[in-house]
Amino acid sequence: MKVRTWFYSCIAGSSLLACGGAAVPQDSLTAAQADVKGAEVGGAADDPKAALHLKLAKDQIDKAQAQIKDGDNEAAARTLDRAQADAELALALAKEGKAQGDASEASEQVGKLRKEIAK
Amino acid sequence: MTKSFSSLAALYVLAGALAACGKAEAPQELMDARTAYAEAAKGPATDLAPAQLDTAKTSLDTAQKSFDDDGPSQKTKDLAYIAERRAEIAAAEGGREKAERKRAASDKDFKNTQMEGLEKTKEQLEAEKRAREAANQDVNKTKAELAAEKAARAEAEKRAAAAMASLQEIAKVKEEARGVVITLSGSVLFPTGKSDILPIAKEKLDQVAKALKDQGFKAIVVQGYTDSRGNATDNQTLSLKRAQSVRDYLVTQGIPSDKITADGLGSSKPVAPNDSADGRAENRRVEIVVTPADK
Repeated sequence: MKVRTWFYSCIAGSSLLACGGAAVPQDSLTAAQADVKGAEVGGAADDPKAALHLKLAKDQIDKAQAQIKDGDNEAAARTLDRAQADAELALALAKEGKAQGDASEASEQVGKLRKEIAK
Repeated sequence: MTKSFSSLAALYVLAGALAACGKAEAPQELMDARTAYAEAAKGPATDLAPAQLDTAKTSLDTAQKSFDDDGPSQKTKDLAYIAERRAEIAAAEGGREKAERKRAASDKDFKNTQMEGLEKTKEQLEAEKRAREAANQDVNKTKAELAAEKAARAEAEKRAAAAMASLQEIAKVKEEARGVVITLSGSVLFPTGKSDILPIAKEKLDQVAKALKDQGFKAIVVQGYTDSRGNATDNQTLSLKRAQSVRDYLVTQGIPSDKITADGLGSSKPVAPNDSADGRAENRRVEIVVTPADK
């Protein structure tokens, strides 16, 4: 690559990222926020363990936004990866909790029905 | 699958221990990730969420490589943090799948139990129906029996009435405190001074016997009487012989001998004055005293 071509390339990309630095992790931010929303809709706020990870995900999104503001996009991207992992875990825990609750309820219903029939 | 995941998890823990001998100590995040992965591999995720467990393993490998290449850097810590979450997600997915299977089994059990309950209820209803039908049959049977009994009673009453009517054609019949008294004139039954029954009288006695059998009775006493003429002892003897003749004849016509007796009362109980021929004719008589069956 000639020196001039390299120079123009740098000029063209300057609006998105500083030459040699990381881009703003907008996609990761959007994905993390969507995962948090998904976890909330999935009932994570109602399950104590899930709620803890939901809060961690939200805190890390806030932290990542602060890092972006400070221009530390690389650290922000990793923080958002953490946030996504926590949001996904929150949703998985909420689903697990709900499934366990449903299983217990179904088992109780069987017990009640058996008692009713035995009368 | 379970065995291979568990072996792998053990290897990770061992690798961590060995690495600690010659290299920088692994960050807490990486050790937590190894522990989380080992826990997940021991649980239901191995069989029920293998894809998620595999993703967790890949994440842990990446974190381990980062540690091998760069040591306990922030990047390694971040990757280990994510690996730990991936292991926990695999464990949660395994737990969810296990719970859902348990619920499906309970749902199936519930339906089967419902079917059992329905069967039981159906059987109970059928048993109740059978019992009701049996009760109805009993009621019908009782009704039929009552109707038959009523018909039999009506028939018996009809027969008794017919017997009574028949008797009244050949003799005087009265209901008294001692029973139904059938009075036959002595002049119709016997020759004068004799106790042999006249042939024509036997027809009447046949009718009496039939009427008595039709009507039913508990006991019968045949009482002979005379008018007041002649010797009282002779009269008593003659009245007894005549009563016995009638009694014996009725036995030959089917009246049970143990239920019929004879008695001679002479002229002791006249029913008319003895100073006229008509009165004396009335006093010469045989009375058949019948104790009805329902007394």
